[in-house]
Amino acid sequence: MTLDELKPGNSGIIKKLSIRDKLGQRLMDMGLYPGLTLNVVRNAPLEDPLEVEIDGYFISLRHEEARFIEVENT
Amino acid sequence: MKLKLFVFLFSAMMFGFFLIQPAQAHTPLCSCYDNGDGSVTCEGGFSDGSSAAGVQMRVEDSAGKVLLKGKMDDYSEFTFDKPAGDYKVTFDAGEGHEITVHGKEIF
Amino acid sequence: MNSRLLVALAGQPNCGKSTVFNALTGAKQHVANYPGVTVDKMSGWYKHGDTRVDVVDLPGTYSLTFYSPEERVSRDFILNEKPDVVVNVMDASNIKRCLYLTFQVMETETPMVLDLNMMDVADNRGVIINVDALTRILGVPVVATSMKQSRGKKELFNAIADTARKKSSLALFKVDYGPLEESISIIFDMIRQDPGDLKTYPARWLAIKLMEGDEEVKKLIKEKGGQGRQILNRVEDLRNQFEAEYDQDTALAVAQARYAAADKVAAGCLTLPTEKKKSMSDRIDAVVCHKFMGPLVLVGVIWLLYYLSIVQGYNLTNYTWPLLAKLRGFVAAIVPAPGFIDVPLISSFALWLIDSVNALLNYIPIFFILFGLIAVMEDSGYMPRMAFIMDRLFSRYGLHGQSTLPMVLGGIYVGGCAVPGVMSCKGIPDERSRLTTILIIPMLNCLAKVPLYVLLINIYFAAHKGLAMFFISTISFLMVLPVSKFLTTTVLKDKPTSPFVMEMPPYHLPTIRGVVGRAVERVWLFIKKITSIVVALAVVIFILLQFPGISPQRRAEFEARRDQAITKFRSSITQTPYAETLAGDKLMEMVLYWKNYKDKRMLTRSAEANAALNDEFKKINPQFFVIARPGKDEVAGKVNRSFKELFRTRKGLLLEMRKERINQSFLGKMGRALEPATQFAGFNWRINVALLSAFAAKESSVATLGALYEQNNDGGDGSLESRMAKEEEGFTPLHALALMMFMVLYPPCLATSIAVKLQSGSVKWMLFGMFYPMVLGVGVATFIFTGGTLLGLSGLQAMGVFYAIALCIAIATGFIKTKSEFEDARQMSIA
Repeated sequence: MTLDELKPGNSGIIKKLSIRDKLGQRLMDMGLYPGLTLNVVRNAPLEDPLEVEIDGYFISLRHEEARFIEVENT
Repeated sequence: MKLKLFVFLFSAMMFGFFLIQPAQAHTPLCSCYDNGDGSVTCEGGFSDGSSAAGVQMRVEDSAGKVLLKGKMDDYSEFTFDKPAGDYKVTFDAGEGHEITVHGKEIF
Repeated sequence: MNSRLLVALAGQPNCGKSTVFNALTGAKQHVANYPGVTVDKMSGWYKHGDTRVDVVDLPGTYSLTFYSPEERVSRDFILNEKPDVVVNVMDASNIKRCLYLTFQVMETETPMVLDLNMMDVADNRGVIINVDALTRILGVPVVATSMKQSRGKKELFNAIADTARKKSSLALFKVDYGPLEESISIIFDMIRQDPGDLKTYPARWLAIKLMEGDEEVKKLIKEKGGQGRQILNRVEDLRNQFEAEYDQDTALAVAQARYAAADKVAAGCLTLPTEKKKSMSDRIDAVVCHKFMGPLVLVGVIWLLYYLSIVQGYNLTNYTWPLLAKLRGFVAAIVPAPGFIDVPLISSFALWLIDSVNALLNYIPIFFILFGLIAVMEDSGYMPRMAFIMDRLFSRYGLHGQSTLPMVLGGIYVGGCAVPGVMSCKGIPDERSRLTTILIIPMLNCLAKVPLYVLLINIYFAAHKGLAMFFISTISFLMVLPVSKFLTTTVLKDKPTSPFVMEMPPYHLPTIRGVVGRAVERVWLFIKKITSIVVALAVVIFILLQFPGISPQRRAEFEARRDQAITKFRSSITQTPYAETLAGDKLMEMVLYWKNYKDKRMLTRSAEANAALNDEFKKINPQFFVIARPGKDEVAGKVNRSFKELFRTRKGLLLEMRKERINQSFLGKMGRALEPATQFAGFNWRINVALLSAFAAKESSVATLGALYEQNNDGGDGSLESRMAKEEEGFTPLHALALMMFMVLYPPCLATSIAVKLQSGSVKWMLFGMFYPMVLGVGVATFIFTGGTLLGLSGLQAMGVFYAIALCIAIATGFIKTKSEFEDARQMSIA
C-alpha cells in the first residue's frame, strides 16, 4: 500500500520510493527512505496534508506526494 | 490614436498608483479654545498634514448624553456654544482615530 | 598564522544555526544578497586573538543538491569562495539526519568543525552522545554546544582557530557507496586526467554528483572540462547500467548509502533513550493541529496579531508623532516664512517633503510590532503549523500553506498592510506560489483604504451598514482566490514548483534578542529602501501639482480679496490701542505668531503643558499674546474676534488657491483626461480630480470626498433625503459600489510596489503587479456600474448580485485542477 492510504495512528515500514528527480530527492533529503519505520500522526483539519513521525522528528507532506511512498503496514 | 491610448494608460496608472498612499495611517490631532464670547472652537488635523474637514464632532455632557453633533468645516474648525456644566468634545475620525477633550481643559 | 579567516556556517534548518551565528558575531552582522537570486546572504565577523574572522551564515538546507537556489548558493560558496573552515551545525537530538548533510559537506574536502548544538534538548530527551567516539569515527573535531545558553562557545572559537591553522584535516570518514563505488572510481580517474579546468574542484565530489545526475555539475563539466563530452557520456552509460542491474534510481541509491553510513556512525556513538516520551511539542500539536481546535487557535493567533500590531501600534504613534512634528517644526523654522497669500516655493516644497517622510515614518511603531510578531511566529515554530492547517484550501488556488501569514498580514477581514505581507513571503519555498502570493497580496484589505469604505458606506449604504461592511471585508478574499488561480494557470504557469514536504520542528521559545534584532533589521530595510524612493517620487508629484499654477489674472483677483480683507480688519481696530501693535508688517508677524501657537497647541495634552506653552508665547511677544488670548479684556476680545475672522479669510483664500492650482495642474489635467474612460465606472472628472488631489494634496480622501458632498449640499444639514436628492448630481449608491470595488482592486501603493520588486527580484513583476490590478479594477468597476445600470439594480442589489457571482467563481475555480508536476512522473517499475 502507499503512505497516503495509511490511517493516522498506524505505523509502517517504507518499502520503496516510486518517484525520482525533484520529489524523490526531496523525500530522501527529508529522511523518508526505504527501510525506515514511520508512524502516521494525523491528517490536517482539511484532511490534507498528513503528518508522520520518524525517528523522533515530524514531517508533513501532501497526499499526492505520499502516494509515491510504498509502505508495509505494521 | 496610439499616443492617446498610451497617455491614458499612463495617467490611469499614475492616478491609481499614487492614490492609496500609506498616508492614511495618520495620528489624529485636535485642540480646543474658549473664545470668551460663550462659544468654543476646536481645530483638528492629522499628523501627515491632511485636513480634518468633514470629520464628525460631538459634544456630550458628563453623563454621556449627546448634547450636539456636527462636522469640522472646510477650515478644519468646529465652533459650538459652550454648554453649562461639565462637558466633553470628541473628534471622531472613525477607525480608532478619536480624541476626546474635557471641558475643564478648554480655556 | 593568518590575520584573516573566512568561516562558513552550514547546517540543516532548525539546528540553531542562527543562534550560533549570533553568538559568534554578536552585533557585527549585515544582510546582503547573493547575486541573481533572492536568497539572503548573512555575514558578520569576530576577532580571535589578532585574527579577524569573517563568518558567512549559509542558508539552512537539508542537502546539497542542485534543485533549490539555497542549496546551489551554499555549495557554490563553499567550492568557489573556499572558506578556511566550514562549521557544520547539527541538532544533537537528530544526528542521523544531520549526518546526511555532513557527509556531503565532507565531500567538498574543505576543513570542517562539527558543532553538535542543542545539547540541552538532547539531554532532556535522554539522548546520549559519545563526542570523543564521534570525533574518532569521523576524523573531524566535534564541539558540543548549547548555544542558546552560550555553552561551548569558547571551545568552538578554539576549534575553528585550530582547524584553520592545521589546514590538513581530510583523514575523514568516507561514505561507502557500495556497488556505485566502482563507477565513481572510473569517473574520478577521468576527471583527474582531464586536461581542462576541473583541477580546482574536488574530483570525488564531482564524480559522486555526476552519478547522482546533478544538472549543475553536468553543466560545469561541459563548460570547464577539456573532455567534458566523454565524461558525461560515460556517466550516462554507468548510470543506465546500474539502474538496469539494481533496479534503483542512482540518485536515490546514493542517498540511501548516506543514510546507511549515518546509521553506522550513530551506532558507534549514540545511545537513544529506552522509553519514548511524548514530547512537549507533540502534545501542543494535539491541540494546535486538531480538527476543530486547530482552526480556532489559528483565528485566535490572527486576532492577537492584529490587536497587538494595529491597535496598540496606533497607540504608540501618539507618542512618536510629537517627535516627527518637532522635526517638521524645525524645517518650517528654517525655510522662508510665508506671506499672506504667497507661500515661497522652497517652503512649500520642503514642507511637502517632510510631510511625505513623516507620513511613512509614522508607520514605524506599527511595523516594528508587526515584524517583531512575525519573528516570534517564525522562531517559535508556529508557521509550519499554519501552513499545515491551511494548505489544502490555498494550494487549490495556486497558493501555498505558507501563504497564510503573508495573507493575514495583508488583511483578511480586517485591515492590514501589504508591505509586511509582501516582505514576509520570503518563507514560501515554492517559487510559483511565492510569486502568486506576492502578486495578490496588494488586493487584500489595506488599512489605508478602510476610511474610504466607511465614508462611502455611511453615505450610500447607511441603512444596511452591517451588510455593506461585511461585503467589503470579505469580497477581497473572495476575489483573491480566482485571481490567484488565474495567475497560476496563465502568467506564472511555467515557474518552477517545489514539493511541499516540510518539517514540523519542535516548538521553541523565541529569544528577545532574536526577535527584536530581526524587527529592527526589517524596519531599517523599510526605511532605507522604501522611504527613499517614495521621497524621490514625492518630488515628482510636487511638480505635477504645482505647475503650471494660477494664472496672473486670477492671482490679481486673489490679491484684491486679500487687500480687501486686510483693510476691513484694520478699519475695525483703528479705535483701539492695538492698531499700533499690528501696524504694517507686524500684522503678518501676528498671523505667523498665531499659526505657530495653534500648531504647538495641537501637541500639548495636559494642563501643565498648556500653561508652559502660554508662558513661552507670552515671553516671545506679550502684546501679541494678549490679542491671541484676551481672557477678560473686552477690547482685546473684540480685536481677537476680528483677527480670527481675518485669519479664517486667509485660510479660505489659501485653500481656494490650492484647489485652483491643483485643478489647473498637470495632475488635474490628467483627471479630466481620464473622464471618458472612468465615466463607465461612474466617475466624472470632478471625482477624478478630487481623488487625485485627495491623495496628492494630502487631504485625507475621506475628508475630501465628504466635503465634496457637503459643498454641493445647499439645503440640507446632511440628511439622507437631501443627499439622495442629489441623484441629479449623478452619484448614487451604484456609483459608490463601483468606486469601492475599484479601490479594493486597485494597484498597490508605492511602498508595496517597491516591496514587490525586492521580494520578486525583478522590475518586470513589479510593473505587472501594478498593471494587472488596474485592468482588473477598471474592469470590475465598469462591469458593476454599467451592468447594474442596464439591469436597473440599486446599489444594494448590485452588491448582492456581485457577491453571489464572486462566490460562485471562487468556488468553481477551486475545482479546476492545476496540473501537478507528478501527474506524469516516471514511475519505477515494480519488481
